[in-house]
This record gives sequence, structure tokens and C-alpha cells, in this order.
Amino acid sequence: MNIGKTASYILSAVLALSACACHTIEEWDDNPRGNFEALWTILDEHYCFFAEKGIDWNEVHNTYSAKISNNMTSTELFYVCADMLNELRDGHTNLSSSFNTSYYRKWWSDYPDDYSERLIEQYYLNFNFLSTSGIDYAILPQNIGYMRYSSFANPVGESNLDQILFYLSTCDGLIIDIRNNGGGALTNVETLVARFITERSLAGYISHKTGPGHNDFSKPFPFYYEPAAKGRIMWGKPVAILAGRGTFSAANNFVSIMQYIPNVKIVGTTTGGGSGMPFSSELPNGWSVRFSACSILDPRGQTTEFGIEPSEGCRIGLDPHAAINGHDTILDFAIGMLTGI
Amino acid sequence: MVALPAQAVDAAPPDDYSGKPLRPVTAAYTLEAGSSQLVNTYLTPLRYNGIEAAFRYERMQAMRFNPEKWVMRLTASIKIDRTENPAKNAEMWRANAEATWGMTHRWKLPYNITLAAGGSVGANIGAIYNQRNGNNPVAVEAALTLNITGYATWKTHIGRLPLTLRYQPIVPLTGIFFSPDYGELFYEIYLGNDKGLIHGAWWGNYFRMENLLTADLHLGATALRIGMAQDLLSTKVNNITTELVSWRAIVGISGEWLSIKPGKGLDKNARIISALY
Repeated sequence: MNIGKTASYILSAVLALSACACHTIEEWDDNPRGNFEALWTILDEHYCFFAEKGIDWNEVHNTYSAKISNNMTSTELFYVCADMLNELRDGHTNLSSSFNTSYYRKWWSDYPDDYSERLIEQYYLNFNFLSTSGIDYAILPQNIGYMRYSSFANPVGESNLDQILFYLSTCDGLIIDIRNNGGGALTNVETLVARFITERSLAGYISHKTGPGHNDFSKPFPFYYEPAAKGRIMWGKPVAILAGRGTFSAANNFVSIMQYIPNVKIVGTTTGGGSGMPFSSELPNGWSVRFSACSILDPRGQTTEFGIEPSEGCRIGLDPHAAINGHDTILDFAIGMLTGI
Repeated sequence: MVALPAQAVDAAPPDDYSGKPLRPVTAAYTLEAGSSQLVNTYLTPLRYNGIEAAFRYERMQAMRFNPEKWVMRLTASIKIDRTENPAKNAEMWRANAEATWGMTHRWKLPYNITLAAGGSVGANIGAIYNQRNGNNPVAVEAALTLNITGYATWKTHIGRLPLTLRYQPIVPLTGIFFSPDYGELFYEIYLGNDKGLIHGAWWGNYFRMENLLTADLHLGATALRIGMAQDLLSTKVNNITTELVSWRAIVGISGEWLSIKPGKGLDKNARIISALY
């Protein structure tokens, strides 16, 4: 056998096989134009709320592409890109560079602030409350339990929840204050909801992108939460959840589930929404981008991206004049509702 | 266990020898290090560049049923990649463990050349972790594959030092592999949506190839193994593309080992059939 010939056959086969190892990936230059196109394309292929928000993303491209020049500075590019992302009107969408992180604030800044921490702590808790697992809690004079959970990013321990609910167990009702709770981990939502349900309960639906097209979505997948394990302390008495425009993302998701549980009322104003689970990606220049990519629907299959209304008859805002006099009108309303006054 | 020097394997048995042939195990332990280029569009559209390190165990042995013609090969390896994005402000890590078992038919050619071809089954599992991502920080990799493989060896000398050169490719032909859907979070999988996660593999959506070039420098009972390895991986499923190209230099030890019953020596007339040549 001719060894050289054999070797050339083997080499040819290897090269032919290596040639198969190519799936094309779109690539962009690291210049203002390339980074702009990368950002637009990432959103074009992955963002999940174009249809709900009626956004013509191609039109957005035309508008902002005209503002891009390869001679512009990084700062100038950043603000053009940030403005483009603001067209999505999405609090889950950020562009992060070494010098700034863009953030669409109008989802809450266009609305009154419904929560004052000082007001609660001074006039209702007398600066005397307990704290564990990121939850402040106390018994109000009307024998109503009060829990303040400021962020679902704070892990909730099962034993901590047992301690809290046991401490409040003699109360006639429970207030869970999640105003200005900007979200966190959905697993903490599950842990908390599990104390208020007695059977496996539909918690919502999740739908993800199946491809780069704007209408490429999976069939909504129903997901369920189980009650807390046997032996854990549960809560079956009336509950008022205080929510407002600052109730966002995972906190919004918590409201979307709790609103359908018997004995639970949502008190306050429309929540901030933020029902899109964010994905992360990045641009050639190293900036990172975060955006809504996966839609979570409530247990009735409704989108909550634009917020959740309070329970019927429970819409009430924080009266700033009353607040000056030491009254949180939303909390007062909830106390009155739970005490039957 | 007895380690065989390369010369022992050279020894030809008498023509009238009728005992069972001895089939030494060729075992090798190697450390490998080199460069890698990695992209996974579930995590990032950018190609990351960096380094790859690996540890590999390889075991080869002539098969009992037809030792002259058939050889078994078992491998187990662990690979770690540490890569950076083009702007060098984010890291992506990859860890992967793989095992293969296969058989090859070999043909002994003139000039001390052996060619072999056959198949193997392989399993690998691992993950790619992008440290800057929030809800999509990890892409899990898992595959069960049927592979085609083979090798070419050339037994030669450098001066008086016996040397065995080998080239061995391995290419998955078909199988199954794991991938989430295009925009599916692992949180959704955690919630119970396990549809569409397993995919049939063919060269159009799953191409992988390992090229292995080794030189065993026989230094008595053991050999110093040096060489090069190349990994190519390119998958595209659910509009998610993964590519890995890595090159590694190899250094390690190899040797041929025989199990001998206690109290019995090595039969001088026994036929010794090496796995590699």
C-alpha cells in the first residue's frame, strides 16, 4: 500500500469532516454601527412583548440607526442605544456599560409613590418590630399581623416563615406589604405562596420564544405550586396584600397568584407589571444587555406585564396630606377591612 | 501486574506455540492544555477565547475473541475551559466529562503500520457558565452518541529509542443530545416543562470531532506520551448554536500492563498481542 496515498486520503477525510463543523453565527464589528446593530438584532430576535406593546421594531431601527455614526463617542452611542431600549417601555430592560446602566423609569416615575417606610415604622410600628429573612413583622394594635417584605431577592427560609406566622398566629388577619418591592427570585414567591394554599394550585403559565420571529412562542405551559410541607405553619385567615406601582417583577407575580386565593384581597393601586423573565446578552464592545424574553401569565392566562388591578373595592392611594399627619391611607384601609370596621 | 517493555511486545512466539495469547492493557494517563474558542448563542452571540485543560485516561486491549483483529478502547476525560469575551470584561467557563467505549478492527500493514476502524458509544455531560448572565447563566450539555473511530499507528525508532506514533479521530455519527428551547429558561424546566429537550443527532445539527495525535516514547517499562489533541464541536438546534474549537498539547505516561497469577511467571513462549500495533 502506498503510505503517502493513504495518509492523503485520511487527511482529506479529516478536512472534509472539519468543513461540516460550521454553523453560521451572525457577527458584528466592534464599532458604533456594529454594536448598534448587535443590540437591535438581539432584541429583535429575543424580546417577547413587541405584539402586546404594539412596537414596530423595524421603525425603531430606522429612527435610531440614523443617529449612529462610527465617529461618535462611546457615551454618545450609549445614550442613543438607551433611548432605543426605552421605546420598549420595559423596566426589565437595561443596557450596562462600565460608566452607566440604562433603566426605563417611567413605569413608576409617572405615578405617585404609595409607600413611606418612615411613616409605617414611626406611626404604626413605633420603631418596634422584628426582622428575619428580609421580612419585618409586628402585631398592630388592632390585632392584625403586619409583614413587610421589601424585596423578593431576600431569600425566605421555611423556618423563618414558621417563626413569623407562629408569632402572628393569634391575629385576626394578616397584612403583607409589598409596596415598592421591585422583585427578585420566583422561588421566594413559591415559598411564600405555599403558606396560603391548601392544595396543589395553578400558579400561572409560562411561554418562551421558540425562534427569532416576533410571533415565535411556545404554547403557554401551566405551572403549579404545592402547599408547604406537613408540619409547616400555614395561614388561612383573611389576608390583605398592599401593592402599588412599585410592586414589580417577582412581586407582581406574587400578586398575580395571590389575587385568586380565597380570603385574599389586593389593596392599593395597580402594580408595576414586569411579567417578562429577563435574559442577558452582550455586545461586541463588552456592554451587557438585559431584556424581557419569557412571558409569565397569571393563573387565568392573562398577561400582567402592564400591572394588576387591586381587588374590587380595594383601590386606594396614599394620601400625602394624611401621610404628613401620620396616616398611611392604604394601610388604614387594609386594617379597617380586616377588622370589619 | 507486570509492565512490559516495548521489546517484550516485539518478541515473536515460536510457530508451534498453542497457549492463550497474552493481551496486555495499554493504559495512558495524560494531562492536556491549550487554547479554546467557544460560543453558545443561548448565553452570548460573541466568541470567547481562552484556555482549555484536560485530564484523560485511556485503556486499550486486544479483544479476547479475536485479539489479532479486534481492539477495545475505553476513554474517560474531564475538560475545563476558561474563556473571555472579546472586550475581556466577562468570563465563560466550560466543564465537560466524557467517556467512550468502542471496538476497532485492525489491519497490519507493511512498514510496522497498523490501521484500524470501528465504532464506539460515548456519553458526555457538562455545562457552559457565563458569569455575567442573570436568568440564563448556564447552558447544560449532555449527549449519548454512536461514534465512528479508527487509528493509524506507526511503530518506529528514533535512534535506539522505540517510538509509536498514532493518529486517532473520533466522530459521533448519531445519537441524542440535550438542548433547551430557543428562549426557554431553566426555571421553566425546573417547573416541569421537559418537552423538546432531547434531540436526535446527525451531522447537520450535531458535529463533533476529536483528532488525537500521540507519540509514545518507550523508556523501558513505561512510555512518555506526548502529542496534540483537537476538538471540534458545532451544534445547531432550536436556533441555538454552540461552537468549540480547541487545541491541546498532551503530556503523560503510558504503558502496557499484564495481569499475572501469583506464583506464575510470564510464559516466555506466550504470544503477546499489543492493542496499538
